[in-house]
Amino acid sequence: MIRFFSFAFLCFFALVCLYPFAWMFFSTFKTNREIYQPTTFFPQSYEWDAFYLLLTGQTIPFVEYFLNSLMFSGMQSFLATVVCSAAGFVFAKYSFRWSGFLFGIAILVILIPKQAMAVPLFDWMLWLGLKGSGWSMVLPGIASGLGIVFFRQVFLKIPDDLIDLAKVEGYSTAKICWLLYPLILPALMTYGLLHFILSWQEHLIPLLLLDDNNLTLPIALSKLRDVSHRIPESVGMAAAVLSILSTVLIFGICFRKMKTALTNLSLN
Amino acid sequence: MGFDLAFQNPERSVSHWNDLEIKGSSYIKPSFSWLDNKITEDDSEQDSKYVGFDNFKDVLNDPKFYKAIQNTFFYVLGSLLLILPIAFLLSVSLFQFSRLFRGFFVFSLMIPGLALPGVLSTLFYLFFHGKMGALNQYIVMPLGFDPINWMMDPDFILPSLIFQSVWRWTGLVTLFFLCGIEAIPRWQFEIAKIEGIGRLTKLAQIYLPNLWHLGVFAAVFLIVDGFASFSGAYNLLGGSGGIMDAGLLLVTYVYQVAFPGGSGQFNFPGAAAMSLLVVPATALFLFILLQSRQRLWAR
Repeated sequence: MIRFFSFAFLCFFALVCLYPFAWMFFSTFKTNREIYQPTTFFPQSYEWDAFYLLLTGQTIPFVEYFLNSLMFSGMQSFLATVVCSAAGFVFAKYSFRWSGFLFGIAILVILIPKQAMAVPLFDWMLWLGLKGSGWSMVLPGIASGLGIVFFRQVFLKIPDDLIDLAKVEGYSTAKICWLLYPLILPALMTYGLLHFILSWQEHLIPLLLLDDNNLTLPIALSKLRDVSHRIPESVGMAAAVLSILSTVLIFGICFRKMKTALTNLSLN
Repeated sequence: MGFDLAFQNPERSVSHWNDLEIKGSSYIKPSFSWLDNKITEDDSEQDSKYVGFDNFKDVLNDPKFYKAIQNTFFYVLGSLLLILPIAFLLSVSLFQFSRLFRGFFVFSLMIPGLALPGVLSTLFYLFFHGKMGALNQYIVMPLGFDPINWMMDPDFILPSLIFQSVWRWTGLVTLFFLCGIEAIPRWQFEIAKIEGIGRLTKLAQIYLPNLWHLGVFAAVFLIVDGFASFSGAYNLLGGSGGIMDAGLLLVTYVYQVAFPGGSGQFNFPGAAAMSLLVVPATALFLFILLQSRQRLWAR
């Protein structure tokens, strides 16, 4: 009985999560009039006009924006994974003067969202002369407090013996960290993916810092809706479908590793 | 949007932003303001001067600022109180089923979290919202209520923002909790079975202690994300606060004050003062919350 109810509960939530996206996919084939009737699910005819309009760049240069987004988020998550894992390694395995204090700062950094710091960030980027360039998207967010705490926790699980052994062998600290990477591969992938998704979804900072000729996806999507009286809604839907497909694909590849990493992490 | 308009004329916008920089930086870094005054002395249009704590006073006398804080507070609280219990129930339910089934369900629950917040609000706008929308057609009207005008009724703007947040994050938190439950040693459940303990005892003795750290972690993540949330409200309300500012969130307001998005006030110092007032307070609160459960980071 309990099993039945929990099954019904799960199905309800899965439906809430899946049905709108399925509706969105079928909406790419619909006319505006059909889209404004949310209770109709299937379109009357299947034509790929919306994707065609979008990918040929007749409305906005979608492909460029998409590649921009992919590049910025990919770069940022790669660099963040490298920096945070190295920092987490040092915090977990070495103690030095001020290490506790520095770790406290790392925790504080998590608690301050970078969106709330948008104004000073804007000022800094102007000062550095990076406003409008890709680096202004990549650099803020590399030193993520969340990542440092996460990787410290991951490295704490690794026995000290391995590190002592490596020290006896005469490896340098950086080399030891590098040698440990294969052991924490699931954690690296998990964090990389989470960071990728968070920076993929970032809206305020690109809105403030980027010029009109290289925007990222979230802004492109809201542009499509802004002028939606000229562009059919189905084009916006097609853009949304493409933007989701890419993250879902990456997530699908990493999903198993991610579960392994999270289960290992909560073992204590 | 006003912001896009500002970029349409390149020469004008460049000079504009330069003015802003000079004006802004002198306020944001008050200790150097004498330097900026020297630089901008001959430019009579600039009135950058050190004004002490006046900006903070202005902010504290601003009723919209309190409105934004209040809205953000209720938004964060509402999402927390909904997401954590729902995610817990979902993960406990999922735990009864086979591994393959779990994977499939968690994956489908995660999909809204993988989508861009802009996509979520577009979907909300087109699919859930409106008299013909899914919320009214499938839930409100079958229960015998009048259809709710979600975006125009000031009482319902905040709940619809909270709905989006719940929709977005429940899957991820469920994944966290599910991994936490899977990591609980089997013998605890076996003892519970042998002892024949009730459901409430099981909750208090097995689930809560084992999931507490993950719960705190998820709560901190949600609080920080809630305070920083911007994109959903921006897409839904077009950078404004909605009717009677019922959906005005903190970051939206900072954006409105500082940048030519909403009101075009260009009030950089005011916005900086606002961030400076709110961020440390929140950070301190969360820090105390974390320190009270130190085992999360302890060896």
